[in-house]
Amino acid sequence: MNNGEKRIIPLTEGLYTLPALLDEKPHLIGSKCSNCNELYFPKKEKGLCIHCQQKTLEEVELSRQGKIASFTIVLQPPAGGFYHGPVPYAYGYVDLPEGVRVETQFTGNFNNLEIDGDVELVIEKLYENAEGDEFVTYKFKPLKEQK
Amino acid sequence: MKPLNEMREVVVGGIGITKWGFYENAEWYDFGSEAILNALKDAGMEWKDIQAAFCGSVYQGTGSGHQAIKEIGLTGIPIVNVENACSSCASAFRLAYQTVAAEIYDIVLAVGMEKMPRGPIPSTAFRPWELKLGFNVQPANYANIAVQYMEKTGATIEDFSMVTVKNRRHGALNPNARFQKQVTLEDVMNSRLVATPLRLLHCCPLADGAAAFILCSKNKLKSKHKVVTVAASTLTSGVYGEGYPPADITPSLNYPAAMSLTELSAKQAYETAGYGPENIDVVQAYDTMAPAELWDLEELGFCKPGEAPHLLREGIFDLNGRIPVNTDGGLMSRGHPLGATAGGQIYEIVLQLRGQAGPRQVKDAKVGLAHAMGAGPNSAVTILKC
Repeated sequence: MNNGEKRIIPLTEGLYTLPALLDEKPHLIGSKCSNCNELYFPKKEKGLCIHCQQKTLEEVELSRQGKIASFTIVLQPPAGGFYHGPVPYAYGYVDLPEGVRVETQFTGNFNNLEIDGDVELVIEKLYENAEGDEFVTYKFKPLKEQK
Repeated sequence: MKPLNEMREVVVGGIGITKWGFYENAEWYDFGSEAILNALKDAGMEWKDIQAAFCGSVYQGTGSGHQAIKEIGLTGIPIVNVENACSSCASAFRLAYQTVAAEIYDIVLAVGMEKMPRGPIPSTAFRPWELKLGFNVQPANYANIAVQYMEKTGATIEDFSMVTVKNRRHGALNPNARFQKQVTLEDVMNSRLVATPLRLLHCCPLADGAAAFILCSKNKLKSKHKVVTVAASTLTSGVYGEGYPPADITPSLNYPAAMSLTELSAKQAYETAGYGPENIDVVQAYDTMAPAELWDLEELGFCKPGEAPHLLREGIFDLNGRIPVNTDGGLMSRGHPLGATAGGQIYEIVLQLRGQAGPRQVKDAKVGLAHAMGAGPNSAVTILKC
C-alpha cells in the first residue's frame, strides 16, 4: 500500500542518475571504453565494448546538453501495449558533445523542435497509473524553453 | 573461401506466386504450398525432383516450412526454416543458390510465405526499455531517417509522395498485387499523418502471400522458358557504426561506418556478378516506406547521394525510364508479407528477364537486381541475368 501518497517510479532503472540532493541535476548514464574511447548510451551491463570487443567499459555520466539530430511527431500509438504515455509524442535523436547519439523523447512545445537545436536533459512524468503513481523518464527539452 | 562465381552456374528452374492480399480463411501453409505447386508447374518438374527446401517466414513459428510442405507431401528431404526478418525469402533463396552452386544438391526449393498477424504487432528487435518509451513505431523510425535525408539533400515531402504515386501506377498493372488502384499526389498528401513528415500512403501496406523458386543446375532444367541465371546473391547483416532505427541501432559518432550495409551488400553483389549498376536494366528496390526507395537507389549506386529525388521527377525510375524501379508496384502495391516480400521482388525480376511481364514489360531487360532489407539489420541483394 502506498498510504494514499503517490509514488514516483522510474520507468526503467539504470538509464540516469537519481540525485540525492536538491541542487544536483540528473545525468544519463553511459559506458566509455578505456581501450578505444567509444561511448554508448544506455550503458552496457556486460561491460563488453561492441566496437573493440574488450571488456574495458567504464560507467560514465553523460553531458546534460546536446543538439537535435532528428525528430518526428508520432501520431500513431505504438504496438504491443508496452507504451502508456501520451500520443502524439515527439521522438528522435540527440547528439551529445563527447560523441554519442541518444535516442529520446522530447518534451515541451513541438514547435520549438528543430534539427541542430540545443536541448537539455530533464526527468519528467511519462504517465500516471490508476493509483496515481507517476512513472518518470528522461527526455530532452529545447533550451529556449528553459528558464 | 572459394568465390561463388567460380562455382557451378545456378539457374532458375521455376517460379511460383500467389495473389497477395488479406485472407481470413487461409494460413501461411496454404499460400506456401500453392506457391510451391505453381513453381513446380512452371518448372515442369515433379515434387520428387526436389532435393532440399529452404523456407522463409517471420511470424509463423515452429516448423513453418514443414507445415507448408506437409500439404504437398514429406519425401525425406531436409527442410530448413529461415527467419531473417524482411530478408527471409532472399536469405532462403541464397541458401538454395549456394547449395546448388557448391554441387551439394542439383534441384533445391526456396519459398517465402507469411500470414501477417492481425492487429498491431510489436517487433522483437526492440529491448523492453525502448518499447516502454514508444521507440518501436516503424514509420517514426523511418521518419527520423527521412528528416535527416531531407536536411542533407533538400528532398521534399512531395518527392516522397511521388514514389508512392509511381509505384502504385506500376502496381495497377500487376494482377498479383494487393493494391491495383492508382493514387494521386493529392491522395498521398491528404492521407493521415502517421509520424511527421510521413503519412499513411508513404507506408507500405501489409499482406498475406507467398513466392517460391526452384533453383537447379543447368543440366536439370526442364522448362522451355528463357533461361535465367543467378549472377549474385549476397547478404550483409549489419556493420559497426551505422545507425538502423528500424532495429533501434544508433550510429556511432566516433566510429561511423565506412560503408553502409546496403552499400556493402551491393558492392559484393556487383563484384560476384561482374556487373555494375550501369549494367542493370530493371530494379526492385526496398520501398517499405516511400522515402526509403530514394536513399536505397543512391546506396545501391544507381546515382549519387542526393540525386534520386531529381531523377524520380525526371521519370528515370518509371516503367519506360532509363532505370525502371519497382516495375510490379513494389511493396507499396504488392503489400508486405514479411517472409515472402523479397520473393515477390525476385519473382518480378525473373518475369522481366523472361519477357513475361505483360503490360509492364521492360524492353530488352537482360540483367535485374532486387534489394531487400529488414530488421536485424539485414540487406540482401540478388542479381539475375539472362
